Amino acid sequence: MDIQFAWLCLIFPFTGVVLTPVFSRIHPVMRDYGAVFFSFLTAFSAVMLLPLLFTPTGLPLESNLVWMNTPITVNFGILLDPLSIIVANVVAVISFFIMIYCLGYMKGDPSVMRFWMLMNMFIGSMLLLVLANSLLFIFIGWKLVGVCSYGLIGYYYRDEEKYWIGGPKPFKFDKPSACGLKALVVTGVGDMFMLGGILIIYSYSGTLDVMTLYRTAPEWIPVMAASPGMITLVSLLLIAGPVGKSAQFPLHEWLPEAMAGPGPVSALIHAATMVKSGVFLIARLIPIFYYGYWVSGSGEAMMFFVIVAWIGAITALLAASQGMVALELKKALAYSTVSQIGYMMLALGVSGFSQGLLVNGYTAGIFHLVSHAMFKACLFLCAGTVIHAAHSIYIHEMGALRKYLPYTWIFMTLAALSLMGVPPLPGFWSKDAVLLTCLESQNYALFIVAALAVVCTSFYTTRFMGMIFYGKTSDHIQQQEQKPHAHITEGYRTQTFACGMLAAGIIFLGFFGLAAEHKMHDLFATNLTLEINLPVAEHINAYPAFLVPLLSVLLVLAGAIPAYFFYISRRWQAEKVHKQSSLVKLVHIFLWERWFIDKLYNWLFVQGSQKLARLIADICEQVMDALIHQKMPHLITKGGYSLLEAIKSNAKDLTNNIVYVLAVSILFIITALWWIK
Amino acid sequence: MTDSILLQIVFTPALASLIIFLTGKQLAKKAGWVAAASLVYTTALLLVVGYRMHQGIYIIHEDYLLISPDITLGLMADGLSVCVALISNFLCLVLCIFSIRYIDHRIEIIYAGVNKQREISYYSRFYYLFLFFPMGFMGVSLSTNLIGMYFFLEGLTITLYFLMAYFGYYQRVKIAMMCLLWGIFSAVFFLAGSLLVYSQIGTFEISAMADLAGNPMTRWIIAVFLIGLFAKLAVFPFHVWMPWVHAEHPTCIAGLLAVYANIAAYIIVRSLILPLYSDFQVFGSPIMVLALITMVYGSLLTMAQNDIKRIAACSTISQIAYSMLGIGALTAVSIEGGMFFFLSHIMGKTVFFSTAGIVVYTTHIRNVDNLGGLASRMPITCLLFLSGAMMLSGFPPFSSFAAEWILFTGIFERGATDLLALTVGIIGVAAILLTVAYTFLAARKIFFGPLPADLDKNTIKDPPLTMSLPLIFLVILSIVIGLYPKLIMDMFQPVISGVLTTM
Repeated sequence: MDIQFAWLCLIFPFTGVVLTPVFSRIHPVMRDYGAVFFSFLTAFSAVMLLPLLFTPTGLPLESNLVWMNTPITVNFGILLDPLSIIVANVVAVISFFIMIYCLGYMKGDPSVMRFWMLMNMFIGSMLLLVLANSLLFIFIGWKLVGVCSYGLIGYYYRDEEKYWIGGPKPFKFDKPSACGLKALVVTGVGDMFMLGGILIIYSYSGTLDVMTLYRTAPEWIPVMAASPGMITLVSLLLIAGPVGKSAQFPLHEWLPEAMAGPGPVSALIHAATMVKSGVFLIARLIPIFYYGYWVSGSGEAMMFFVIVAWIGAITALLAASQGMVALELKKALAYSTVSQIGYMMLALGVSGFSQGLLVNGYTAGIFHLVSHAMFKACLFLCAGTVIHAAHSIYIHEMGALRKYLPYTWIFMTLAALSLMGVPPLPGFWSKDAVLLTCLESQNYALFIVAALAVVCTSFYTTRFMGMIFYGKTSDHIQQQEQKPHAHITEGYRTQTFACGMLAAGIIFLGFFGLAAEHKMHDLFATNLTLEINLPVAEHINAYPAFLVPLLSVLLVLAGAIPAYFFYISRRWQAEKVHKQSSLVKLVHIFLWERWFIDKLYNWLFVQGSQKLARLIADICEQVMDALIHQKMPHLITKGGYSLLEAIKSNAKDLTNNIVYVLAVSILFIITALWWIK
Repeated sequence: MTDSILLQIVFTPALASLIIFLTGKQLAKKAGWVAAASLVYTTALLLVVGYRMHQGIYIIHEDYLLISPDITLGLMADGLSVCVALISNFLCLVLCIFSIRYIDHRIEIIYAGVNKQREISYYSRFYYLFLFFPMGFMGVSLSTNLIGMYFFLEGLTITLYFLMAYFGYYQRVKIAMMCLLWGIFSAVFFLAGSLLVYSQIGTFEISAMADLAGNPMTRWIIAVFLIGLFAKLAVFPFHVWMPWVHAEHPTCIAGLLAVYANIAAYIIVRSLILPLYSDFQVFGSPIMVLALITMVYGSLLTMAQNDIKRIAACSTISQIAYSMLGIGALTAVSIEGGMFFFLSHIMGKTVFFSTAGIVVYTTHIRNVDNLGGLASRMPITCLLFLSGAMMLSGFPPFSSFAAEWILFTGIFERGATDLLALTVGIIGVAAILLTVAYTFLAARKIFFGPLPADLDKNTIKDPPLTMSLPLIFLVILSIVIGLYPKLIMDMFQPVISGVLTTM
């Protein structure tokens, strides 16, 4: 029955997609609750898979259907192993709470049928990606997630001004439809390269089935390693996909704009689904490259881990630093997501550095995925309530909101503390695991970068919480209060309920965080060593056990204390510091402009490709068109006419005619002779 | 009904054309439905043939003596030709119904002021000409000899000339002439190639062409054929006709023009690669490189367009190149993928271009920069356009995704031992992104954002069902094949990989 629950995880959301228009015809309430009900059934089916984790020897479970057997053989099936069960539960359960939240948030929206269809399709596609046993179907889920995100980010496709993001004036604004397109294209860059990588793997291994790839690694990896550069190429191509989807440097620029859609969509993209797919895929690929390096002895395979770790570390710092100056609440949270995913990548990358770190790194990455999903979903949902209540997307237009939104304040504070890494919340345990693995790898450069990111995270989290809930009420809020139908209050009950449930989940996972981590560690150890047969060594900690937790708390304080004085107690004046110091101004501009990366890409790729296209159309095509459609016909008609004129029988110039006729005949004969020869 | 089934498939449209020609006045606006009925019949016949193939009868062969003992009309159906014929025929049916309202509207615009009788005469003229398309496509797909193919190809060119000249858009007569000249250019090379084949083996039968294998002339013969077919396929630098012709024809035959161009890929596989696989090897790499150049060039050219019809037209250049890329890689998998992509492309292009046609039909605007916000008034059209965009960009669950996957699997299979194929493969998959960019950018400009103030909001609405419903069926067909590609691939197997793997 277990594997049937996995199939149901795929069937329910897509059934929801198909039935929503039918329900919509019957009654709006049926449409809304029907959509959420299918999400509930999906979550229920996922939860029913959890008991499998307590009998790990029964895993992995597989089930297969033949999809195509000529000219290539591809099966469509389910793979249940600890990784897929854990991630499927994160996706299904958190999505369900987000769907509950939507019941209130989307009330009265005229296009809500489209919304429900896209949301359920998003959940279904993500579960397909997670549960599929073949790289082809993982890729199909991957692409469908991209399409759904395009539809949801650009949900307000009419581009009314109230849905613009960016700014505040005089800075530029972005329209939802443009943001959707940007997400589709930027993630598409990674998708396409990844497709190349998968197909190269297929050309060597002859299979797309994940477990078969692991099992037959001894046969095909040495063959691939025999072509110099091939494993490096495949690593780069395969990493490009997760880098795009999980918004990692250098393809991270789409995510800050991906919050143009409705609030819960951001929660879904950032917490439960899309951005997690990259981390999941890296985890799926680790056994292949780990085998390549530690068993096959291909030095190139280490490139995979080095690249993943460094991309993760750089992204963690880069995005966290940008979060320190963001004024849009959802953008600050978006930077935070990019940064946190960086941690997961870092842990997964480090897991290949030594045989002792495999299970620790793998566990740290996935554990952080779980805890982040919970607190980030809570943060985004609370942000949706805050933005709706404050009628502004900017945190400097909020202030002192805790008296208006007491529940949201409590829930968001819990989630924020978890994001910062304050003990004993789950963010602390998972971040601690990431930092520990990083330190144990003895790659100090990576550790320093990750540690700096912790300081930044702590700073920006305290900053946005302070600016939203503490200090004085902003002029904007005061103006809102003056309005006749002012309602700076909590959202609908369903919204508060969903946030509350997630907050409760955070507390629960906080208490059982260590136990959960150990359980995951055991599961992955069994899976990676016994089922996939990867060689691991016993890891002996090089540093005292208290060092990293202590360091972690100190780093959090290093970021939180100045932020506290600036934005909560307001003893220090941020504006004053900004005005007085030219260095701060420069740093601020650099961070506000997102390290100028977005501007560079815009100039290089958007404008560059447009210029290239114009060059092709206005010069190359025009010249060819003129040559073929004007000059050549002209030459043939005019030239032919002149030739006829010249050789026409004219008694006055007989000799001339004979010479022409002779010349043409000789030419003809030579051609004919050459041809026959 | 099943006697001479292939003959019926080819000539039923011609018979319907004759009926419309003779009774056009009486049929009046019902001519479209008569044409559609004939195509429903041929589609049903093709389904019967397809079903028989699934039952295990792999080849159906019919020979008809025409003049002397030597000149026969040979028709043959196998897995490959039936798929090509069935999808092309279904497209003809879809566009036949789509045209019922479209061409009415077009005649009103071009021949404004003519009396009712003239109007009906133009209407029936469209349909008796239109039916030569299905006849031509069926003929090319099912012919067993080169002269038969040549005959049907020329027939298509001439039909296209008249349809362009009567019902096209700007400078329609001039562009019809351009189209005719290119068609003749292509046909002359095809005929020259056919005559060279005859000079060597004394027959035009494709099945006998395997006798040419190893003949020193064979490479020259293939080269002559390829020049002619490249012109038809709009491979760089023979593509210059495509933006003109494809943009200015009546939009209701857009999908057919995509078939007209892309069917040359089928001819290459059928008459050159399958019988002369080893002699063709030398052309593999050059075709791949040319296809790659065409893909990128065509995509960039498309990105620079702001005329909605030109966007769709230029995209054909790059899309056809994908099937050529598969063919050029010359592995059984890539060739099957190339053929599958051809079928997926013509479905996608029909939806994409016809939806562009609906936009022009409704708004009378072709410049996408002057459009916007149509999604709120035309949701079905928007959904169809986005489906078309996804069909062209190879998104699941549409058939083009499966096709691209198979095609590139074949290319990378070759890439394991051929650095050029590996490089071309990687650039090729990356170039798909250009398709995503230009199709979805066009969608954004046309359908999203605010509605321009100068558009008359009362007239902006989804088209009648006779226009949208056939396209919806086509989208569903593409999804069905995409979800279950075995339907097509099992048919290809005995003809392509079954044959090539034994060579």
